[in-house]
Amino acid sequence: MKKILLVLSTAVMVALAAPAFAGAKQDAVMDHYKKLAKGSFSASRGKAFFGATHTGGKPATPSCTSCHTKSPANTGHTRANKPIAPMAFSKSPDRFGELKKVEKWFGRNCRSVLGRECTVQEKGDFLAFMFSQ
Amino acid sequence: MSDISLISGTDHGNISTRGIRVWDLPVRLFHWGLVVGVSTALVTGFLAEEWYLDIHSWAGYTIAFLISFRLIWGFVGSKYARFASFIFTPKETIGHIKEFARGNSAHYSGHNPAGALMVFTLLAVLFLLTVSGVIILGGQENLGALAGFISFEIGAFLVEIHELLAWSLILLIIAHVAGMIIESRISNENLALAMVTGKKKDTSSEPITMSVSTIALRAVVIAAIVGGAGFTLYQKYSAVPASGLVRLVPNETYNSECGDCHYAYHPSLLPKSSWQGIMANLDDHFGEDASLDAETVKSISAWLNENSSEAWDTEAANNLREVSPKSPLSISETPYWLLRHSEIDKNIFKQANIGTKGNCVACHSDAKTGRFDDAAISIPPPKPNT
Repeated sequence: MKKILLVLSTAVMVALAAPAFAGAKQDAVMDHYKKLAKGSFSASRGKAFFGATHTGGKPATPSCTSCHTKSPANTGHTRANKPIAPMAFSKSPDRFGELKKVEKWFGRNCRSVLGRECTVQEKGDFLAFMFSQ
Repeated sequence: MSDISLISGTDHGNISTRGIRVWDLPVRLFHWGLVVGVSTALVTGFLAEEWYLDIHSWAGYTIAFLISFRLIWGFVGSKYARFASFIFTPKETIGHIKEFARGNSAHYSGHNPAGALMVFTLLAVLFLLTVSGVIILGGQENLGALAGFISFEIGAFLVEIHELLAWSLILLIIAHVAGMIIESRISNENLALAMVTGKKKDTSSEPITMSVSTIALRAVVIAAIVGGAGFTLYQKYSAVPASGLVRLVPNETYNSECGDCHYAYHPSLLPKSSWQGIMANLDDHFGEDASLDAETVKSISAWLNENSSEAWDTEAANNLREVSPKSPLSISETPYWLLRHSEIDKNIFKQANIGTKGNCVACHSDAKTGRFDDAAISIPPPKPNT
């Protein structure tokens, strides 16, 4: 009986600890931007950036919300009507764990929405917002 | 005429409930089975939406079975079912039709010469219809028993002939029914009813002599042979891989990089030149930036070039090779795409569960394979906005 309890409690502990492991990858991505940035990142600035209507990009996508909806916790839709998993870290804990992929999508989407590359500050604020959600 | 004695109950002024047996049960089942099969084929062929093609083909296979059965039954069936009983000389036939036009008709227990001509013509037309049908199915849709043997071009060529034959069939049916009604009036014999009961009340008819058990035994054996042979042939030949379908080696990079945003279009849906154009302009990809690193672009381009529409013999690939001069990169701007979707209400594409013309998989469940079978089309009902 004690053994079973021990096994069970170990399992529970491992399960509880799991999100911390998943977060390690994201921490590494965040560290990459922190090293490049001058100041610190702000989730509230990220939120404003996410919700803002930008100019200079492609007409069909003036804002992040054009595809990702008003809340990062929602499932979005591409213009071709493919569902996009929520970006909020609490909903999609596997997101933002691979720098190459994060950079690819910042590249594509910043050029689509803003018509330019995003700054390190913008990317860091954006990620800070997503991790806070 | 010794069997005349069998007839009783032909009282003057009363309709006989009995009558003389002329059409055996297999002939009657064949006739009404054909009515059902042909009606189904005509309705699904001329009126119904494309996705009724599978029902249309099964109606065709049923007709093929029935006429094959009838061809054999014409040699071993009962008296009036045998072809030998209704082969008339052209002179006899013309003479009969002339008399018929004047409102006279000599009595025939089985088929009269005009009816016999109709039987042979119908059998011939139905034979040609089923043969051309299975060739079209194989060539155009890569389906059915001949999918492995017929090119798209041959299938496309026969579509016109199949349609022409179907129109002739309609005319023949009209003539057949009209002739039957007129003949019924002239001879005071309900011929349609006779094809149901198998009996004619005209006492000058000579009854069939083959026993019911012989008829049943022979019919069951022939039906089993024809059905078994048909099924075996169908199984054997439909198992041959479809000739127009090159087996696609899936490309994981393509599926993930392109399939992240949209249904990963089957490469057979555009010609090489269009794929090259798309891959060279990913920074402005239908109004979005879809840039990829040079290495990924190179590997996806190579795979697309290898599997573009030029490499396929499917209906979609053959028809979509011609692109729109104005927007050569867009599948939904090709003349064929526009033609095939012209009857669909534009609002349907905006439905929440479809969203855009580019979302092929929303209605074509087999879009990922590049087949785009007619039978695989299903427009989802609109979802209420929640």
